[in-house]
Amino acid sequence: MTNIIAASDGTAVGGRTVRAAPVARARKRLSWAWLGVVPFFAFLLLFLIVPAISVFQQALHNNDGSFGFDAMKAAVQGQNLDAFWFSVRFSAGASAVGVIIGTLLAYAAVTAKRPKWLRSLVTSFSGVAANLGGLPLAFAFITLLGRQGVLTKILSYFGYNLYAGDFQLGQVSGLITVYAYFNIPLMVLITLPAIDGLKASWREAAANLGGSSFTYWRRVGIPVLMPSLLGGFLLLFANSFSAFATAKVMTDNSKIVSLRLGFFLGGDINVGQDAIGYALAAWMVIIMGVCMGFYWMLRKRAERWQT
Amino acid sequence: MADINPLAPAMPLAIDPEIGGPPTAPIGGVPPRAGRPAVRFGRLGPTLVLILCAIFFIAPLLTLARYALQNVPTIRLGASTMFDKWSLSGLTKAFSDKQFGPTLRLSLKLALGTVTLTLALLLPTAIWVHMRLPRMRAVIEFVTVLPYVIPAIALVAGIVVVKPHARWFLDSDYSLVPFYVILALPFTYRSIDAGLRSIDLKTLVDASRSLGAGWGTTLRRALVPNLRTAIISSAFLTTAVVLGEFTIASTLLKNTLPTFQATYVKREPQGGYGLNLLALVATTGLFALLTVATRKRGSRKVKSALTDPAMAETMAFAGITRSQQGR
Repeated sequence: MTNIIAASDGTAVGGRTVRAAPVARARKRLSWAWLGVVPFFAFLLLFLIVPAISVFQQALHNNDGSFGFDAMKAAVQGQNLDAFWFSVRFSAGASAVGVIIGTLLAYAAVTAKRPKWLRSLVTSFSGVAANLGGLPLAFAFITLLGRQGVLTKILSYFGYNLYAGDFQLGQVSGLITVYAYFNIPLMVLITLPAIDGLKASWREAAANLGGSSFTYWRRVGIPVLMPSLLGGFLLLFANSFSAFATAKVMTDNSKIVSLRLGFFLGGDINVGQDAIGYALAAWMVIIMGVCMGFYWMLRKRAERWQT
Repeated sequence: MADINPLAPAMPLAIDPEIGGPPTAPIGGVPPRAGRPAVRFGRLGPTLVLILCAIFFIAPLLTLARYALQNVPTIRLGASTMFDKWSLSGLTKAFSDKQFGPTLRLSLKLALGTVTLTLALLLPTAIWVHMRLPRMRAVIEFVTVLPYVIPAIALVAGIVVVKPHARWFLDSDYSLVPFYVILALPFTYRSIDAGLRSIDLKTLVDASRSLGAGWGTTLRRALVPNLRTAIISSAFLTTAVVLGEFTIASTLLKNTLPTFQATYVKREPQGGYGLNLLALVATTGLFALLTVATRKRGSRKVKSALTDPAMAETMAFAGITRSQQGR
C-alpha cells in the first residue's frame, strides 16, 4: 500500500533519495554562484570599507602615538562633548518635528478625498522636496529667515524682532526649521505605506465593538503605526545628525559635529590633534550604526502590516 | 400608498467613504451625529495641515527667487518696491563667469560616469542575486545601507587618510566617481531591486535563453526594457545627487558645480542666489522629466516613479543621501 502511494505522488518512502539529489545539486551550484557578487563586494570593500577602517585606525591612538583609546575618550570630553550634546539635541528636535508633521501631512493626503490629484501631488512633491536643496536650500532659508531675510523684515515691520531671542539659523531653533524642509517630506515617503496599511475594516471592527475614534487610535492605529514612526524617527535623526552642507552654508557653529569634523579635515584645528578629529568621525559612524541597526529591526516589524 | 418609494430598500445601505462601497462589517452602536464639532474639525485639521505645509515649502523658494532676480536692497524692500527691477542680469553674469563652464562640465561628466558605473556594477549583480543567490538578497539589502552608517563627512575623513597612499588615483577629478557610486548605492540598489521584484525574472531569462539568445542579448533585449522604470529612476536620482554633491568635493578641493556655487555666492551674492535658484529649478525639472519618462501607458490609473508606492522607499533614501552629502 504505502509503496503504491509513494510511487504515485513521489514523496513518502522513496522521496528521501529523490529529494536528496536536487539539494546536492543546488549546493554544488551555490558554491560557485557567490563568484557573481565578488565584483560588487570588492568595490564596496575598496571604496567604503577601507576608508571606514582607516578612520578607526587613525582614531585608535594614544597621545604618544601608540594604540589606545585616548583620542576616542578625548573626542567625547569638554568641547567635543558639548558638540555631541548640541547635535543630538537639534537632531532629535528636527527629527521629532519631521515625524509629527510628516505623519499628519501623509494622513491628510491619504484621507482627503475631494481633489483626486491631491494624494499624487503630495507624494510627488515629497519626492522632489526630499531631494531638493543641498546648498540651494540653505541659501533659500537665508533669504527667508536670515538677518536680512524677507520674513525677518516683515516680522520686524509688525514690531516682532525674530533675532531678539536666541533664534539663529545655526542654533537649535533655526536648524530644526531648515531641516524640517527635508525631514517632513522624507517622513511622508516613509510613513505613507504604513498609513495605507491601516485597513478600513479595523476601524469598523473597533466601532462595532463600541470603541470611539480615540480608542481606535490608541488601541489599533498608533500601535500598528508605531514601528514605522519609530523607524522614521531614527532615520530622520541619523539624517539630521550627519547632514553637512546645509549647516556649513548657514553657520560656522563648531558645535555641530559634522561641521566640527569638517574643520578638522580642513586643517582649521592644529595637526597634533589629528587623532581626535578622526575619533569624532569614528563616534559619528558608531552613532549612525546604532541608529541604522535599530531602524533595520523596526523596518522588518513595520512591513508586517503592509502589502 | 403612493409615498412608498420603490427605491427605499436601497437607501439605508450607507456608502462607506473609506472604501467607497457598502461597509464590510455592519456598524453597530450610535451613528455619527451630524454637526458634531469633531466631524467638522476632522475636515478642518487636514486642510489646515496641507495649507500650512504648502506655505512652508513654497516661501523659501519665493524669497530665493526675489534675491536672485530682483535688484532692490532688502532695506528698501516694501509694498511699493515689490515689483521693481526684476531681471535676469544676475544669472547672465553668473553664466559668463569663466569658472562656471568648466565646473558645470566636470559635474555633468561626473554624473554621467557615476550613472554608467552604477548600472554596470548593479544590474549584473542584482540580476545574479535574484536568479542564483536569493538568500543573499537580505545581506545585499543590508550592505547597501552601509553608506548611511558611514556618512559622506566620515567617508571623506577616510579618503583623506588613504590619500597619501593613492595620490595617483585621488588627485584626478574623476576619482570622485566610485565614491559617488557608493553614496548613491542605498537608493540605486533599491530602485533596481524593486524593478526586479516586479517582473518574472526567471521566466524572462529562460524564454530568452531557450530562443537561443546569449546573456548579452538577454540583458539588452529582454531585461533592460522590462526594468526601464527602475533604470531611469536610479539614473535620474543619481544625476540629481551628483549635481548637488558638496561634502566630498569641497573637502577634497575639487572644482565641481556645487563648490563653485558656494564660493560664487560670496563674490556675487545676487548671481550666486541665481545659480542656486537655477539648481532648484533644474532638480525639479529633472523630477518632472522622470515622471514623464516613467509614466506607464495603457493602465488606466496613471502611475509613475514618483507616485508609485513601491518607489517610496527609493525616493526617501535618495533624499537621505542628498542631505548627507549635498546638504
